[in-house]
Amino acid sequence: MPSATLEEYLETIYKLAERGEVRPAQIAEAMGVSGPTVTATLKRLQAKDLITRPDNGVALTTTGTAEAISIVRRHRLAERFLVDALGLSWDEVHEEACLLEHALSPKVQSALEVFLENPAFCPHGHPIPSSDGTVAVVSGEPLCDYGEGASVEIVRVEDEDDSLLSYLASLGMYPGTSVFVCDVAPFNGPLMIEVGQSRYALGRDVASKIVVKPSVSEKDIEARRKS
Amino acid sequence: MALLGNPNVGKSTLFNSITGLGVSTAHYPGTTREVQFGRSTFGDTEFTLADLPGAYSLYTDTEESWVSRRALLDIRPDAVVVVVDAGNLGRNLRLVLEVLDLGLPCVLAVNLVDEAERAGIGVDTEKLSSRLGVQVVQTVATQGLGIRELVTRALHAIDGGDPPPPRYTPALEAALGPLAVSASAFSALPYGLSPRALALQLISGVEDFSVLFDEGSEAARLTGEAEVLRGDLVIRHDEPVTVWLSRERSTVAEGLAAECVMHAEPRRRVDGWRIATSPLTGVPLLLLVLGCVFAFLFFIGDLLAGGFSALWAGSVSPLIRSAVTAVAGDGSLGRTLLWGLDSGIEASLAIGLPYILTFYVILGVLEDTGYLNALAFLADRAMHRMGLHGHALIPLVAAAGCNVPAILAVRSLPDRRERLIASTLVALVPCSARTAVVLGAVGHYIGMGPALGVLAVVFVLWVLTGLGLNMVLPGKSAGLVMEVFPFRRPSVRGVLRKAWGQFREFLFVATPIVVVGSLILGGLYETGLLTRLSEPLAPVVEGWLGLPAVAGLTLLIGTLRKELALQLLIVMAVAVMGAGATDLTLFMTPTNLFVYALVNTIAVPCVSTIAVLAREHGWWRTSAIVGFTIVVGVAAGSVFAHVLPGLAR
Repeated sequence: MPSATLEEYLETIYKLAERGEVRPAQIAEAMGVSGPTVTATLKRLQAKDLITRPDNGVALTTTGTAEAISIVRRHRLAERFLVDALGLSWDEVHEEACLLEHALSPKVQSALEVFLENPAFCPHGHPIPSSDGTVAVVSGEPLCDYGEGASVEIVRVEDEDDSLLSYLASLGMYPGTSVFVCDVAPFNGPLMIEVGQSRYALGRDVASKIVVKPSVSEKDIEARRKS
Repeated sequence: MALLGNPNVGKSTLFNSITGLGVSTAHYPGTTREVQFGRSTFGDTEFTLADLPGAYSLYTDTEESWVSRRALLDIRPDAVVVVVDAGNLGRNLRLVLEVLDLGLPCVLAVNLVDEAERAGIGVDTEKLSSRLGVQVVQTVATQGLGIRELVTRALHAIDGGDPPPPRYTPALEAALGPLAVSASAFSALPYGLSPRALALQLISGVEDFSVLFDEGSEAARLTGEAEVLRGDLVIRHDEPVTVWLSRERSTVAEGLAAECVMHAEPRRRVDGWRIATSPLTGVPLLLLVLGCVFAFLFFIGDLLAGGFSALWAGSVSPLIRSAVTAVAGDGSLGRTLLWGLDSGIEASLAIGLPYILTFYVILGVLEDTGYLNALAFLADRAMHRMGLHGHALIPLVAAAGCNVPAILAVRSLPDRRERLIASTLVALVPCSARTAVVLGAVGHYIGMGPALGVLAVVFVLWVLTGLGLNMVLPGKSAGLVMEVFPFRRPSVRGVLRKAWGQFREFLFVATPIVVVGSLILGGLYETGLLTRLSEPLAPVVEGWLGLPAVAGLTLLIGTLRKELALQLLIVMAVAVMGAGATDLTLFMTPTNLFVYALVNTIAVPCVSTIAVLAREHGWWRTSAIVGFTIVVGVAAGSVFAHVLPGLAR
């Protein structure tokens, strides 16, 4: 098993890769270390066959990916544990989980999973990979598949350059926000949605980029917490 | 002072009631969102108020957001009046937090309290004021309520010192702290920002500050530190920093709103949106409104234009005529001057007063009632095929009255690509003048069927152009994201003031270009150069289009005013054929007339249209649009010139 430092690198590369091509400079930036340090560490990762360096970029090998997913799994399990069992707030558990994740053996992981009743998501709403390394795609359908009267929650915004995401955010629509579809224009036209006290009309193409899932009502959340 | 707020919260109404008529506008190069400046006095204090574009946030990728942010940084106003919607405090307050984060003294105008009250929402302004640490005033801008108090408080805020910065979650404060400490080592920070404010700007990463510091490498270290922090935040929160910051501000804003909003039982009211958007009532309503807009511009505009021209010919024209003749004589110089000063000014005014002013009034009513949004909602799907938003429907319909106001209205569309497509399409819509030529030349002399045929050909070409442009132009149209607000009663004064402001802009921008264009055209005509210039065109006019050469000349002159083409054609026919030739069929075959009307409709918009096109898109793009219309017009004309005789046989 790689050292804690190498694990941190793998985790960072994995997360960066989810957003596109990875460059050493991005890793340096994300981890707050110098360029030469990154270069040296990348060499060590390459020697262990965990990464390759196509065109000076960074890509995870199959082993590297598996290793990274395992770390992400441990990290998110740890976060779940800190929130559910210890009652910490979800916005303060990231650092703590960073410390804990390296110490979780497979045995502890499966014990945690049983204890936490097989959680599917971390407290921030990201999927927890299973022990065999499969990552559940956050289920959800595009908003445009829903009709009048649907109550949904935004899962993510599929957007190449984040400008739609940040514009929607300025209107108060973030991943996790509840949305109510109150009207759909005739002839497959735009959707009208209600968010808090505001109403917005969204064109079909915009609505197809917003991935949502049916809302969980307050009651369901309450019930889950009790059990 | 500066005025800032979300769109549709009554900001402009407030601006108009605070400032007098002396309003000037400014643009950042390459943007269409303008900043308006108005001066006013209050007691013995004189101040300037800058009306910034309505924006939801200072940190999105939109033009209005960029302009507002730049203006706040560049002007660094002594106080910012943030206008918020009392009925939607949570979302509106985030913008207030963004202003406070810049360290700008600020006063809150909680506007639309009447509308909120009807919805059963009240705002505890005292509590809001103490929580935010700034003055809060309730206003109803449309009725002028609370405005005196607002201005008083705003003037006080200037001397009140910097407001306390908002506090966020530990995660954000922890990120900000060290960066603010590093920033405080500098003697002077860009834009007079406080260390905390600069730290927030650096984290959000929307402005490049590295060039603004004097202290070289030290500054580079600070911006470098911020970059590392940003990367860390992206990884940690798994979303772009601007989104995360927006979420942080939203949390605080929603919390404040929850504390300060009091709910009462809302009074029942009919939701007009149901009626306006459901298929059964919405579509007929839409058609009715469009029909009214069209009829108003087409018939009433036409009537007014006719009246105006008669008035001009009866009273103003003789005055100008005698003045010009007295100064320049009645030689070719005098006649050229008359082209510009008489016909040119008349062309500009004859479009300006009846069409543009009336259109702006109609547009103002549609906009202020909120029906424009309902219309955009319904029309979005169809418009989308041509790479446009539902909003583009109004300019396109208005274009059937007159292209000029339609092109000016295209400005409100969100991106450059869309404005270009919409403008090109507007230029291809037959305005009432061109329709008059079609009806006069084809309808009158041949029959209504062929006249409708000309319009049908134009329509088909128009749709093809729209679909084609959407495919050919790089990029994709951004989807529709539009706030829907309840229908409101527009204020007459507000609508008229806005219409007048926009109209004045047209007069000052377009009239000089139209006058100069007319002078040039007149000079060419009077010196006989135009005839010589049209000679190289003869193969095109006679060969391809099969028209008499003089008809080509009238097409050229028709660019001054499209309906002139027909009048001149009759004049020319008389000149060539003798007095009996007022019946055009003696002079031209039915095919000739069909082709003539078609080419006149499609090729080259009028001088006024070209003038506003140039203003909105620059000369390069305008030439491209005009060139495109010539190619399409001549091509369509040649095809019909050769196909029609065959069909007739």
